[in-house]
Amino acid sequence: MSFASFAGPFAPEILLLAGALLVFLLDVLKIRRTEIVGAVAVVASAGALLLVLADLGFTPIAGLATIPAGQIDAVPAVGSAPLYAFTSFGLIFQAIFLVAAFLVALASVSRPSDERGAPIFFGLLLIATLGMLLVALASDLIFLLLAIEVVSIPSYLLTGYTRRDRRGLEAAMKFFVIGALSSVLSFFGASLLFGAYGTTNLYLIRAAGTSVGDPVLVLLGYAFLIAGLGFKLTLVPFHAWAVDVYDGAPHEVSAFLAGGTKKIGIFAFFLVFLGPVLAVDATGASGYGLFGGAVALGPSVQITLAVLAVVTMTVGNVLALLQKEMKRMLAYSSISQAGYMLIGIAIGTSPALAGATLQVFAHALMKTGAFLVVGAVAATGVGPLIEDWRGLGTRRPLLGASFGLMLLSLAGVPLTVGFVSKFILFSAAVDARGWFIWLAVAGLLNSALSVYYYARVLKVMFFDPSPAAAAPTGAVEGASEPAILPLGGLGYGRAAAIGLIAGLIVLFGIYPQPVIGAIQSAAQHFLIAGA
Amino acid sequence: MSLEELAFLALAVVAVATALLALLVRELVHTILWIAIFFVDLAAIYFLLEAPFLGVLQLGVYAGAVTVLLLFGIMVTRKRIFSREAATGIGPIPLALALVTFIFLVSAVGELPQSEVPVRSYAPSALSVLLFGTDGAWLLLLGLVMLAGVSGAIYLVREGRD
Amino acid sequence: MTTLALTGFLGLSAALLGVGVFGILTRRNFILLLIAVEVAMNAAILNFVYFAAFPPNGGSGLSGQAIAVVLIGFAATEVAVGLAIVLALNRLKGTINVAQATDLKL
Repeated sequence: MSFASFAGPFAPEILLLAGALLVFLLDVLKIRRTEIVGAVAVVASAGALLLVLADLGFTPIAGLATIPAGQIDAVPAVGSAPLYAFTSFGLIFQAIFLVAAFLVALASVSRPSDERGAPIFFGLLLIATLGMLLVALASDLIFLLLAIEVVSIPSYLLTGYTRRDRRGLEAAMKFFVIGALSSVLSFFGASLLFGAYGTTNLYLIRAAGTSVGDPVLVLLGYAFLIAGLGFKLTLVPFHAWAVDVYDGAPHEVSAFLAGGTKKIGIFAFFLVFLGPVLAVDATGASGYGLFGGAVALGPSVQITLAVLAVVTMTVGNVLALLQKEMKRMLAYSSISQAGYMLIGIAIGTSPALAGATLQVFAHALMKTGAFLVVGAVAATGVGPLIEDWRGLGTRRPLLGASFGLMLLSLAGVPLTVGFVSKFILFSAAVDARGWFIWLAVAGLLNSALSVYYYARVLKVMFFDPSPAAAAPTGAVEGASEPAILPLGGLGYGRAAAIGLIAGLIVLFGIYPQPVIGAIQSAAQHFLIAGA
Repeated sequence: MSLEELAFLALAVVAVATALLALLVRELVHTILWIAIFFVDLAAIYFLLEAPFLGVLQLGVYAGAVTVLLLFGIMVTRKRIFSREAATGIGPIPLALALVTFIFLVSAVGELPQSEVPVRSYAPSALSVLLFGTDGAWLLLLGLVMLAGVSGAIYLVREGRD
Repeated sequence: MTTLALTGFLGLSAALLGVGVFGILTRRNFILLLIAVEVAMNAAILNFVYFAAFPPNGGSGLSGQAIAVVLIGFAATEVAVGLAIVLALNRLKGTINVAQATDLKL
């Protein structure tokens, strides 16, 4: 096998790794200007995004595709145990991750919170993005968990990269402790599954079904995996860390954590609990039922996930109602959104899976954008409380309008991408019949609840009078030079990223067909892969 | 009861006892001593399980590198560490949670079939074939974790030029 | 040739996981937290080595040992990262007591 034929399919990953190494190299050569290292990160993530889109068969650039067509969604030979596999579903997630990383990198070119840390910020950002791409390729439990660590370790460090900022470092410490606990639980669960099946390969585990595997070990293994991965996805009993971390981290890191890295948790859930694993008998009927015999694991996992989903969205929404600080409110809202995504797994049909994936895509856009706006607003000298945003909509109409659009999309108002994703998800729940309809009801009630606190922010921004003129200082806490960036303290990169997000939210809200089509066919392939 | 089982029982008791002691003693330096014994004890268990390569790795990485790293961490932050804050009170809720975890696991383990089977041993060369051949991707991922971890850690602890 | 029963080893790793979780939940000193994490991690590693020695279904369990090798390396990296964070915080604040880090609401 020549290098080219081996490296080809991994071109996006190699591009990101090369970008990270180049950034570190520039750091050693004392080239540390934010614009230069930032440009490397932007180019690497944009290039990787183009390659992944080409692999997905996106027509204008399909010529760039590097994965041979036969390798995508290929059915593995019986008995073979590949560590990774190219599925169109994984590629869609890769594209979502890369969109989030690209937007964060683009916005940070303007000014990351700690300018001296620019090389390490962009380097770790690229490595974490590389880890996310690898998560989307996994077809082996240990490969999956290690790839999650490739994301986690840089995210602990990113949270504290401002070194002189106590809040960031404390958030990093909490993040580290919780993350370490979560990875220990996941690995312990994987070890029990290894003991039950004699392999960690997800295809082989799926093929084994109930025929082998000690039921006690299997049950305990999946219980530990739910707990371990639940921490990553901020499901409710395991959510408490997320608010502190999103609140204490630098703004652009919060955007990356909430919009990007958190989504690896949902993909891991897809992979471990649906995917080529527990999914579907060959007929393609409802997802579960492989675990007849000794333990009927399917229904119990399904009910556990459904309960977790409802509890997560309700608790997240109720606590979001009570928050006075903008970042904490967004963090709780991000927790509740994880609940919506989990509905898709609990139902386990391909339309529901597509709906959940679309929700992941929409949430990546909206939450990345919202945290980037928070960063931009903080850069213009506005405080952290929701109250402090009084009259912002009239003072900065474009910024206010973009943020308003993101909040409306989070609330699920028609003509935004947030509406499309929720509509597809809930209608899949209704179509699945049985008790799944109650999941749709719970989701709708929660959406109604969430409208209240989003609307409150909109009211404060657009209808409350401005406080006594707060001049934009342009100085972030601890930044050395007080120069005001162009565009009233925003900077071109940040303005471009926010504008792009607002545009995409409306574009996919009005014309979602291409995305929906691609996601639906990918979800179908995912559920029957290797069956 | 065979000699091996006797040895395992002794090692298991030592492992649990040292792990508990490490977390409960007041002086942090004593903690390091207990945890070092714990790591060596586990290495002995690996030898008992006929995994000599892992035993050596456990001695080198855990009993050696990790212990020294922890000791170094204590030395650097020494000023406040020889105080008693190492042994703050044990809240009832965490204790209950840990106990529930433990009882749940042990009762589940009790359900397993008990059987006496011979330990399976492998040639160390077979392990390297696996690590650098079919399962090579795991080592590549470990390399990425280390790249990110080391570069970020160095940045955090390096004295800034400012 | 050694013969050993299944339950003993799983009991040991369950006990170690219990001790580790107990430590993570109760200890407030960051170094002790790191040690508790390592104890729990060793429980998982022990499981992999154990199942490599007694492979289920009569297959080859050698990949269990390979996983254990990788996990030992990973755990060492994790300790290094944790120590880096705590050293940076210590330089800034002079405490590594998690409970005293109260700038963020718990």
